[in-house]
Amino acid sequence: MFDFLIEGFGVALTPLNLGLAFLGAMLGTLFGALPGIGPINGIAILMPLAYTLGLPAESSLILLAAVYTGAEYGGRMSSILLNVPGDAGAVMTTLDGYPLAQKGLAGPALGLSAVSSFVGATIAIIGLTLFAPLLAEVAVMFGPAEFFALMVFAFSSMSVMMGKDPVKTAIGAVLGVLIATVGVDSGSGVLRYTFGMPELYDGIDFVVMIIGLFAISEILLMLEHAHRSDGDGKLPPLGRVFVSLKEVLACKWTMGRSGLIGFIIGVLPGTGASVAGAVSYTTEKRLSDKDNSFGTGNMRGLAAPEAANNAAAAGSFVPMLTLGIPGSGTTAVLLGALMLYNITPGPMMFTERPEVAGGLIASLYIGNVVLLALNLPLAGVFARVLTIPRWVLVPAIAILAFVGVYQLHSDLFAIYLMLIIGVFGYLLRKLGFSLAPVILGYVLGGLMEQNLRRALSISGGDVGILWQSGISLGLWVAAASLLVLPWLLPKFLPKLTPAAKR
Amino acid sequence: MRIAADRVLGIALIGLAAFIAVQAVQLEIPFSYEPVGPKAFPLGLSILLTALSLVLVLRPGANGHWPHRGLAGRLLLVLVLLLVYALLFTQLGFVASSLLVVMALARLFDATWGKALITGVVMSVVGYFLFTAGLGIALPSGHWFDAFI
Repeated sequence: MFDFLIEGFGVALTPLNLGLAFLGAMLGTLFGALPGIGPINGIAILMPLAYTLGLPAESSLILLAAVYTGAEYGGRMSSILLNVPGDAGAVMTTLDGYPLAQKGLAGPALGLSAVSSFVGATIAIIGLTLFAPLLAEVAVMFGPAEFFALMVFAFSSMSVMMGKDPVKTAIGAVLGVLIATVGVDSGSGVLRYTFGMPELYDGIDFVVMIIGLFAISEILLMLEHAHRSDGDGKLPPLGRVFVSLKEVLACKWTMGRSGLIGFIIGVLPGTGASVAGAVSYTTEKRLSDKDNSFGTGNMRGLAAPEAANNAAAAGSFVPMLTLGIPGSGTTAVLLGALMLYNITPGPMMFTERPEVAGGLIASLYIGNVVLLALNLPLAGVFARVLTIPRWVLVPAIAILAFVGVYQLHSDLFAIYLMLIIGVFGYLLRKLGFSLAPVILGYVLGGLMEQNLRRALSISGGDVGILWQSGISLGLWVAAASLLVLPWLLPKFLPKLTPAAKR
Repeated sequence: MRIAADRVLGIALIGLAAFIAVQAVQLEIPFSYEPVGPKAFPLGLSILLTALSLVLVLRPGANGHWPHRGLAGRLLLVLVLLLVYALLFTQLGFVASSLLVVMALARLFDATWGKALITGVVMSVVGYFLFTAGLGIALPSGHWFDAFI
């Protein structure tokens, strides 16, 4: 059953892939630490470059996955030191991390968060190893109708769990799916929404889409924050650099619980690190906040969200690898990267491309150890990254975005398209949309339509096939109840609402 | 009716949905073996989008923070700069266009002239050799630049 893992370690331990995991972990931590550049931006910027290196699929996936997990590590830096979360997953880290830094305990706080990130990620990677092959075996039985139902479930769970406004999350996802319909329709060869532009026949290129949506819109957003003081160059003193074993052991159950919570939430499609951080923090507050010190610099309040968001990051690989349904915006981007290599992620990957699935999982183990080894002693060095001024950062992002898109086809059309998408992304963000549903919709849209049409082709047009099997019926019911429950529960259980509110 | 950003957005999105639906209906399908065809999916999405946008129009959320006039001007300036970058990218070549745009961007983000110049020179020249020699990406060198190498 674990043959894939043995083969995976064989793949991941080659010098090239080890080096890439190391490089990715390093770059990821840097990207995560840089204000405004979260995991998605890091991957968006690096992906076209990784592609030009001509790496095999598993190697570039190892690199990008290491960037992803590294960025989750790096995201805590600015949360703890500046009270500015580096990415959405690190929001809860600020609650106790920043007060600790103000007490002069920034060094131990960084150390503890590195350890809890490691513990959380390890729990989730073990969970991934055990769980993914089992789920893949179930998923092999999925036909097009089940996959369609699964995607509907993913979108509805995302609408409920992600972001503040379910309607906007849903609109974002629909817009993403619509963008995916541009180009030649694979079923009939008809051109859709190309407006006579041959450049659009192949659809909107994935790289153009994510760089525009994330990197360009980030440049525009950064301008708004340019004059807001986020501690330009003023870092609090780190204090002693190492966290003591006693402090770590005091949080061991916190880390364990939060790691489990994070993993489970990460596995649910559509919900990622930010939800996991919030849920674990509130759970831990209820369980172990005896002297009401959460929010004033409690070590457990720091360990909980850090363990959970890293666990969620690893957990979101489960649906991505086994079902081809990404668990978060970042895994949606990784899924798109796999598709560039003509690999369709899904249950068959464990049997057909074990070197990709196994190599990735094995490299997560390795990357996690590398990250701990890098982050404990080098916290001070990484913290320096925070002092990089925006007038260096923004032009660098611009150059990387232009080069990344230009090298695709060496033409300017893609660059103009990237700018248009960038403005679109900026407006969406200003209007209170989160971009993860858009990218999930874009990545899944094509598959969703294909599966729907395939299912209806099998049944000769009878819509009933979509909910005929037990699995698909269950998914439809689950999807519907997810959408209805948030409205119904408060009405029937008025006592629960104060506790449910975060 | 209060004018809220969400209302404007909702109405714009309904317009978009209508446009998508009209385009989908007008698709000419030669012959198809499958029962669904390329029209149904976009049509369904446009109906969904309309329904969701109606919710937005009827129950708009908070208006959010929109940039004031000075900031909006700077935002436009950044966009124009990126557009100019795109226009010059192949004309002047990577090094010259990057030098100009990096300097301008750095200035916009409050760098001094000296710092902006250093950033521009370092990023354009180092970047050029890193991308072409290191990563093997073919970048436009610009004809005038060829003479120097």
